[in-house]
Order: sequence, then C-alpha cells, then structure tokens
Amino acid sequence: MDKVVVTGMGIISAIGDTVAQNRQSLKKGISGIGHAKHFVSKYTQLLPFAEIDYSTSDLKKKLNITQSGATRTDLLALYAFREAIADAQLETSSLVSRQIALIGASTVGGMCLTDELYADANKKGENGSEYLLSYPNSAGAMFIQAQYNIGGIVNTFNTACSSSANAIMFGARLIKNGLATKAIVGGVDSLAKYTVNGFKSLMILSDAPCRPFERDRKGLNLGEGAAFLVLEKEKDAAGKKIYAEVKGYGNSNDAFHPSSTSPEADGPFLSMQRALQSSGLHPKQIDFINAHGTATENNDETESLAMLKLFQTPPHFASTKSYTGHTLGAAGAVEAVNTILSLYHQEIYPSLNFENKIESTGLVPVKEYGSKILNNVMSNSFGFGGNCTSLIFGKI
Amino acid sequence: MFIHQHICISPQHTSGDVDLDVLNPSANGQLTAIEPELTGVPAGLLRRMSKAVRMGIGAGLPILQQNKVDGIIVGTANGGMNDCIKFLNQIIDYDEGMLTPGNFVQSTPNAIAGQLSLITKNQQYNATHVHLGLSFENSLIDAQMHLKEKAEGNYLVGAVDEISSYNYNIDLLAGWYSQNIENQSFYQSKLPATIAGEGAAMFLLNNNAYDALARVKDIETFHASDIETVKARFKIFAEAQNLDSETTIFLTGENGDIRFNPFYHSCEAIINDITVARFKHLSGEYPTAVSFAVWLSVFALQNKKLPGHLFKTENNLSQLNNIIIYNNYHGLQHSFISITSN
Amino acid sequence: MEKEQLKQQVKEQIIKFLNLNNLKPEDINDEEPLFGDGLGLDSIDSIELIVMLSREYGINIQDPKEGRKVLTTVNTMVDYIEQHRTK
Repeated sequence: MDKVVVTGMGIISAIGDTVAQNRQSLKKGISGIGHAKHFVSKYTQLLPFAEIDYSTSDLKKKLNITQSGATRTDLLALYAFREAIADAQLETSSLVSRQIALIGASTVGGMCLTDELYADANKKGENGSEYLLSYPNSAGAMFIQAQYNIGGIVNTFNTACSSSANAIMFGARLIKNGLATKAIVGGVDSLAKYTVNGFKSLMILSDAPCRPFERDRKGLNLGEGAAFLVLEKEKDAAGKKIYAEVKGYGNSNDAFHPSSTSPEADGPFLSMQRALQSSGLHPKQIDFINAHGTATENNDETESLAMLKLFQTPPHFASTKSYTGHTLGAAGAVEAVNTILSLYHQEIYPSLNFENKIESTGLVPVKEYGSKILNNVMSNSFGFGGNCTSLIFGKI
Repeated sequence: MFIHQHICISPQHTSGDVDLDVLNPSANGQLTAIEPELTGVPAGLLRRMSKAVRMGIGAGLPILQQNKVDGIIVGTANGGMNDCIKFLNQIIDYDEGMLTPGNFVQSTPNAIAGQLSLITKNQQYNATHVHLGLSFENSLIDAQMHLKEKAEGNYLVGAVDEISSYNYNIDLLAGWYSQNIENQSFYQSKLPATIAGEGAAMFLLNNNAYDALARVKDIETFHASDIETVKARFKIFAEAQNLDSETTIFLTGENGDIRFNPFYHSCEAIINDITVARFKHLSGEYPTAVSFAVWLSVFALQNKKLPGHLFKTENNLSQLNNIIIYNNYHGLQHSFISITSN
Repeated sequence: MEKEQLKQQVKEQIIKFLNLNNLKPEDINDEEPLFGDGLGLDSIDSIELIVMLSREYGINIQDPKEGRKVLTTVNTMVDYIEQHRTK
C-alpha cells in the first residue's frame, strides 16, 4: 500500500506563529508559558498561561478577515491552515476538489467567547450576538471550509485532549481507503474561561510553569494554538519536500473513569501498542516519544507506567507542553508538528522544569537539546472520557 | 456495510413496541424524546448523566450487552449541552470562584462514547465526531473504513443530540426555530423556521450479509450553499444507485423551513418518478437527525411499508427495497445515503 | 448547632451535591468510608464535596490530598466543619 506522507505543516502557538519559529523556540528551550496579555479572566493574573502573542483583532488584520462572527478559535485555525497549504505548495483553487479532505478538531470551538455564549444561551439580549453560528466545536473547520470551498470530506473530532491526534489518524485512513487524495488535518483551541474554570475546578492547574514528569509537579498550564498538516500519498508528492511518513496510529479507550487514567494505564499502553502494530515496528525501533506529559499527578505517573510496560527501557522522551502549555484539542496536532520537526532535523528538544524523578517510575525526560539519529518517533495524546491515541512518524 | 441491530430513542414510539401510526405532537416548537428506563448502568454513573448521555446509553448499551464490538463511534454535534450551560452559568454566577467539576466533565461531547466504553469495559477504538450536521455521517464513514481495514470487525455506530435550553435558545436567536408551528402541519408553514427535535439512534455494523436487517450501500457528504452544486452531486449519486421507481423511496429531511425547500424540491425533480417520503415531523430538526432517518429506513425495509403520514407524493411502490436519504443541515451541510434491503 | 443535627445536614448536602437520589440520609453511616468500598465515591465527588464545604460552610481547601483526609467519613467531615467553619 502507498505510504501516506506529510508534505506541509503550519502552526501557531505560544512559542511562535510559524513552523520555523516554533523550532527555534524548542531548540533554545524558550517556553511560551507566562502571563497572559489578551485572555480576560479572574485567573489571568493568578495563573500562568501559554498565550499566543496576537490579540484577536491583530489576527483579523493579519488574515484580512472582516466578516462578523469569526472567533479567535476560527482565526487561529485559519492562520495555521494557511501556512500548511502554502508549505505543501497546494494551490488554493485546487481545494474545491472532491478529493481534498479537511479534518479538524476542537474542544472549545467558539466557547472561547464564554461571556457572549452565556448571554446568548440565556437569551439575555433580544437579538443575540454576532456569534450565534460560531459556538460549535465544528466552527473552525466550517470556517476554513467556507474560505476555500473545500470539496471533499470535512469533519471535526472532539475526543477531548486526543482530538487532533484522531483527526490526523482519520485523515491518513481516508487516503489509504481511497476516500481522499489529500487530507489537511489538525486542530485548534483558544484559551477560554470555560476550560480554564473547568480544569481549575478539577484542581489540576498549576500556579507555576508546568513540570512534566517531575516528582513535585503541580499540574498543567493551559495554552492555545492551532496546527495543521498536509497528508498525501508518497507517489503524489514527487518533487516536494517530505517531512515524514505517517507510519502508524493506535486508538484505545481506557474504560476506567471519566476524567482520570486507570492505575494500570491500560488506555495509554494499548494506544501505543496498537500504533506499533499498525506500523509493523518493534518497540526497540522507536527512537523518541513526544509524551502527552501534561504534568498532572495522574497523567505523568500512568503514562510513565505504560511506557515502562511496553518498552521495558523506554526510549528518549519529553513533553513539549512545557513550552506550549496544554492546547487541548490542538495538542495532538501541535505535538505532531513538534515531533516531526525532531525527526526531520534529527534533533531532540528538552523537556523543561524537570529536576527529580518520580520515585515509583524512575524515568528522566530529555533535559538538553541535542542532535540525534531518529528513524521513528511517537507522539501520545490522552484525553478525558478515556480517549487515548498514539501516532508514529517515520523518516523518509 | 450491513446493519444487524438498531435501536432508536426519539419523540415517537420507536423503542420497545414500535408504533409509527400514532404521531406524538410537538409542544412549544419542540419534539422531546421519550426516555426509556436504563438497565445495567451503575448507580454511580447514572446519577451524573445528562439526558444526552442517558439517551446514548439507552440506545447503545443493549447492543453492546449482546455483542462484542471492535469500536464505538458516536456522532454528536453538541453532546451534553445541558451540563455545558450548567457549568457556564456557574462560571458567571459564582464569578469564576470554586466550581463543581461534575458538569464540566459531563459536558464534553465524548462523554457518551466514553461512558459506553466505561460501562462495558470496552478498550477498543473509540471516537466522537462533532462536525455539526454531518456528525453521524462522518461516524458512518469512519465505520466503513474500519470494515475495509478489518473485514471481520463489528462496530457500534450511532448519534445523539439533545434539546437543551442552551442550544435551543441559541438556535432560536439564530432564526432556525419557531415556537408557533407544530409537527402536524409545519411542512405547509411557509415560514423560514422549523421545530427542534432530539434523540439517539445506535446501529451494529459489520460486513456480514447473512441475516442483516439492511445494507448501507453508499454515503456522500459535502458542504455547499448553492442549489446547483447540490443538484450536480445528487444527479451523479442517484445515477450510481440504479434506482427503480417501483422499489425505491426518496426520504428527505424537508423540515418546513422555506429556505431549504428548493434544495429538496430540486433533488426530487431529478428523480421525479420516485416516491417521496419525509421524516422530520417525527424527529424534529437536530444536527444528527439523519440517524433517525437511517433507523426509519431499516424499519421500513424490514416491514416493507411505512404509515401514510410519511409520504409526500403518491405511493407507487410494488415492493420496498431501496431508500435514498437526502438531508440538508442549515442549508450548508448535505448528505446522501443509500440504504438497501440486501 | 448540635453535632447530630450537623451530621444530618451534612448527609443531606452530600446527597444533594452528588445527586445521590436513591439514598436517604439514614442510609449513610457516620463511620462508613465515603470513598472506595463504602459509598463508592470518586475523585470528582471529592472535589464536588470540597466545593460544597466552601459554599455551605466557608471552608476553603486548596489541596485535594488534604481534602481527601477531611472527607474520609461523615464524622471526619463534621469534626472538620465544627473546627473550621466561617459561616
């Protein structure tokens, strides 16, 4: 069967608004976690966030969007999408083809406008706001579809924090099953009072920059971002820059609890194992893992356990959430970009803020930037509802 | 892809003893679903469930209790919207103070597929598609691919959406609904509005033709705001189905909203010898109402007939073997599905 | 408030906050573990109860681990409320 390869990438996150800028920040160990300037909430001054530098009106100007109803989420999605299609040298006029699929992912959608949503949902105003059609999770993908009149299958996933990893998996499968020749896949989420208060209520937000896999970790930081990848068949990509092959994917459900991972880490173990099976690789052939690594008590311990169970001696691993924060529905795609950057440039980026091993697991993430020979890399995304997805990218 | 079991929770008598001759009326512009009693759900989970989750469990769990499945795939535009607004209201009412997380956790759309997995300890593929009016169709496409990748697999595929004060108010403000029309007469309302509905339908899908209830032969989805695109794509789709006017029903998502009638009428004109039926006076309008139409199609193919109130045109059937569904959500998201008896 | 009266009130509040609609206050034993084998509550419930302590008694518990100790049984909750309530 034809290989599915990545021929374009686009990203906007707290560490940069291009793929190149994101790479520079990762190489230099510069985190995007800090004080939010644009996000308005009671917690703005109390908690660190990984916010994108641009205000929503900056984004509108940069993208030349004047229509009403466009939310920050929609704009971030379009921003990353544009870079991805330009990078893959796709003519915008070609996107109307029935063979072009767009698979998005979001957990927040237009709920970033929590106050407007509150007013509209409770019918506080007579006519409603300009955002009545912008709230659903699907709004970002619908917004891009409408901009380019994309003609093929268009979809949106919400499997919580694994949403955009599933979008990538779905896009690769569409191509393999002949339902699309190209799939533009990714996800988006922007900072929202809704999610900030949600995670706050679960008591898993850290008041300091997050410390993935650290013994004394205190929880996660929320971030925002969008990332899209262009997938196509290797034979259709002749002459193009090819970043990586989408070599394997695995999806599982932990079937344990609505918001925490089982002590046996079944879900994470199975998604990684299934990704290996679908790629035909042995555990020893994985050279690096971009871990889910949220820095919550529950995730880092169970993910470590799953890595130990599957790999015995796990490969090098790190969590780029120490740079981008947890971008929720965008995380799978943001981290796929980061993982592919490692693979393409044969380098690994350090996990930040780590000092002490978790006693029960003894695992140490990558602490310093360095060159490394990488052939196959894995990216993990695990979410509420038990939804776990692992992706494997291979060097071409 | 074949359908082997199907359960539908809706505003009509579609679960338990099915009776479509009796049409339950809408009230205040809404058709609300009749919830069955749930069995086999741990009390600890039940107490936290919203209506959307309960409907999804009610339709999906009986199928999962009888079958081992290789995946649980759910389409829902909104998931547990009522929990979403409860949490949202807490944020504002308590000024981002200490909030209870239960609503937040239940409000994520993947709670339905997640809880189906949790209750049945199913650790297989699990996905939630939320692409508004195509959430269910994308779930079917997901299953269709799985059945090519793993020919012997069994998949639970379904859809759920609920009416909550949240999405109802927003859609009312957006001009999709009217509270002054009712399901017995809304096809003639001549208003740019329809009535809200809700429900859940779940299906067991595999590649086994033997003893199947029906076959999902073809699915097509796309986005378009113009009638010409819809007509062009429907023409190609209909031609590929080799339709026979004596054995085929064209089941449309017409919902009384005069803005969408031209889309439906144009497609009817393309296959003008085919008998037309409509379903939204039973289900009401919601993003995953097509799941109701698929359930109804399977029911019709099994029983070889449908009650008279469903037919828009004269019933010319000598036998019923094929149903073509066309649905249009908000004049933008379109799907065609071909269901056959074998 | 008398201790017994407070116990009854706390049990009613537990049932209300956690939607334990099939239980009556007398079904909850003062010494029975609320989590794990006893009432079978989980981590989300423990946070719901921490919020309940905040809204009903003005007690602010920041660390979920500390919360879990307070929430061992109805008796431990009542003792803690008596010592720390601000309303």
